[in-house]
Amino acid sequence: MSTKTRKTCRALLLALSGLMLLGSAAEPAWAGERQDGYNYSAWGKAVPAPAAYEASSLVNGGEAGGAAFKEPSDLQAAQGGKVYVLDSGNNRIVVLDADFKPIRTIEGFEREGQKETFDNPQGFYVSESGEIFVADTGHARVVHLDEDGKLVKIVEKPKSELLAADFAFKPLKVVADRSGRVYVMAEGVFDGFMEFGSDGVFTSFIGANRVEVDPAEYLWKRLATREQRSRMVMFTPTEFTGFDIDGEGFIYAASASRNGQPIKKLNAQGADILRRGGYYRPQGDLLYDNAKGPSRLIDIDVGDSDMYSVLDAKTGRVFTYNGDGYLLYVFGELGNRIGQFDTPIAIERVGDRMLVLDRALGEITVFGETEYGRTLNEATRSYYAGDEERAAELFERTASLNANLDYAYAGIGKALLRQDDYKQSAEYFKRSMDREGYSKAFLLHRKELMREYFSWIMSGLVLAAIAFVVTRAVRRRKGRAVYARIK
Amino acid sequence: MLASSRQAARHPLHVIFHPFEGFWELKYEQSPRKARNTALVILALLAITTVLKAQYSGFLVNMNNPTELNSLMEIVYVLVPVMFWCTANWSLTTLMDGEGKFSEIFASTCFALVPLVLIQFPWIWLSQGIALEELSFYRFFNALAAAWSLYLLFVGNMTVHQFTPGKTILTMFLTVVAMGFMAFLCLLFFSLIQQITSFVYTIYQELALRG
Repeated sequence: MSTKTRKTCRALLLALSGLMLLGSAAEPAWAGERQDGYNYSAWGKAVPAPAAYEASSLVNGGEAGGAAFKEPSDLQAAQGGKVYVLDSGNNRIVVLDADFKPIRTIEGFEREGQKETFDNPQGFYVSESGEIFVADTGHARVVHLDEDGKLVKIVEKPKSELLAADFAFKPLKVVADRSGRVYVMAEGVFDGFMEFGSDGVFTSFIGANRVEVDPAEYLWKRLATREQRSRMVMFTPTEFTGFDIDGEGFIYAASASRNGQPIKKLNAQGADILRRGGYYRPQGDLLYDNAKGPSRLIDIDVGDSDMYSVLDAKTGRVFTYNGDGYLLYVFGELGNRIGQFDTPIAIERVGDRMLVLDRALGEITVFGETEYGRTLNEATRSYYAGDEERAAELFERTASLNANLDYAYAGIGKALLRQDDYKQSAEYFKRSMDREGYSKAFLLHRKELMREYFSWIMSGLVLAAIAFVVTRAVRRRKGRAVYARIK
Repeated sequence: MLASSRQAARHPLHVIFHPFEGFWELKYEQSPRKARNTALVILALLAITTVLKAQYSGFLVNMNNPTELNSLMEIVYVLVPVMFWCTANWSLTTLMDGEGKFSEIFASTCFALVPLVLIQFPWIWLSQGIALEELSFYRFFNALAAAWSLYLLFVGNMTVHQFTPGKTILTMFLTVVAMGFMAFLCLLFFSLIQQITSFVYTIYQELALRG
């Protein structure tokens, strides 16, 4: 360890102890920092981490004297901090303001003078301008309302040669892009999402999952007779479980895929363009016991700066990744205390808060950022925006709050690389196990060294060459002398 | 003394560059004791190189988690396969009319491993000075060493047992299969021993707690 690194180490330690002292007096966020979170290290080990989010309150819709939520199944954030809750059990949509007070309910809509209602709607989408798309599952249709709750159009069961004659249209979830195209996730559809044009006409399927075949099951099927085979379950592609759309129109989709890619980012052609540049592919929990099996992701929410969160129904954990595919933080679990869920069904990021909707309890748990979560989020945002200086500063603070976050060191390394401190940069990249970054910094460092010591290296080489020639000449002469003496 | 130690160091190099001649000398002309000692030194060197490689290779090529690195295990990973190979090979070739004795098989196997030692030594340190772009050189030299060792193993086997090339390839293949069997039997043996000891211990505990 060079004196310089030792010095920085000491400075870091000093800063850390300073933080601890400060934390108890000035900054309650540090003092109260719960250390019960975890993350996965570059080596794939579960390592402790500070909590990035903490539950602050519960919302059940009945606060202002209205009816409480009954089996709600989806929630969406909209402009001005408003939150829309799809209260499936009561067949209505509840609009909450930024303080989670109910300000409006949408029980139905008017269609050609007739009042119509929803029947057990399972999913909905609220666009930036406040337009609402409801997957009215019981009525086999998707209802498009404008921001005032007036009917714009209705998407009914499509007629297409791509669909079987006895096809039953059961929309579960829906999103819409800016140009008004509607994407529907329907029950029993294995060909991907159903895409409808802005006029409500079915155009095509996009983003089908592949069939995953269990080898043992495949062998059984091969050995079975045709009659037996016909009674077996068919191999079908994994169904999607949830999806969301980002500002650029890319669809983020979660599925209960065991071996494939449980998280996908689909472009307009349905190709998966999710970046998987992290230490391992985004998939929820990396380590799990075999009896329980891997994470079952049931909802996905894409926030700003390409950050996205997925909800694992099995453990009640929310995993948040950045656009490169690095796991940032994990929070939430199943249980009975605040911050724990019974049957989590949907998540939504609203500004610096995360909302988790519980279906059975009919509650929204509101999570607020901790100091650690805020720093990490800000660092990710700055990095995404290209402000590497500020990102490095924030990553440094993140690393001082959580030395186990290997990813943070790469952020510091990148900034140092830009500041031409190649040696330090390489060290940081090494610490974050970023081989590509390390190689880049190391190459520049090597070039620098070469330039600095070029004269020494060259004189050394020349001297060595001269020494070699001289010794050879001396030896030869000696040998000749010996030879002459023998003669 | 100096001359003989220099010769001892040169002999393996002679073998790897002139395998047919070298292995012939190893079998018929050199004293078995000397051959065995050289072989043991080569094996020890390989074990040391493996440990050094795991510990000191450059960051870009070193995939080992330094917190979980165990030098003793690294040595075991070298010794056990070599011993398994020799045992399996000896067991098979005795049945297949091979002329090699166990000591000859061991010596020829160890001599065949020399390229692995030779290539590692510069590359452990060179790998610290390379970037991702130069990684293909590293891979190439490693692959070259492995191929060379395999070739030497083949020639060594052929010479020691006086087999035809076809039969040698067959024997080598069967040796690998036999190694698999041996690994399986070892596992079975150890797990049974474990069960027996735990059984005996449980009985002891039962008696001790009741009495």
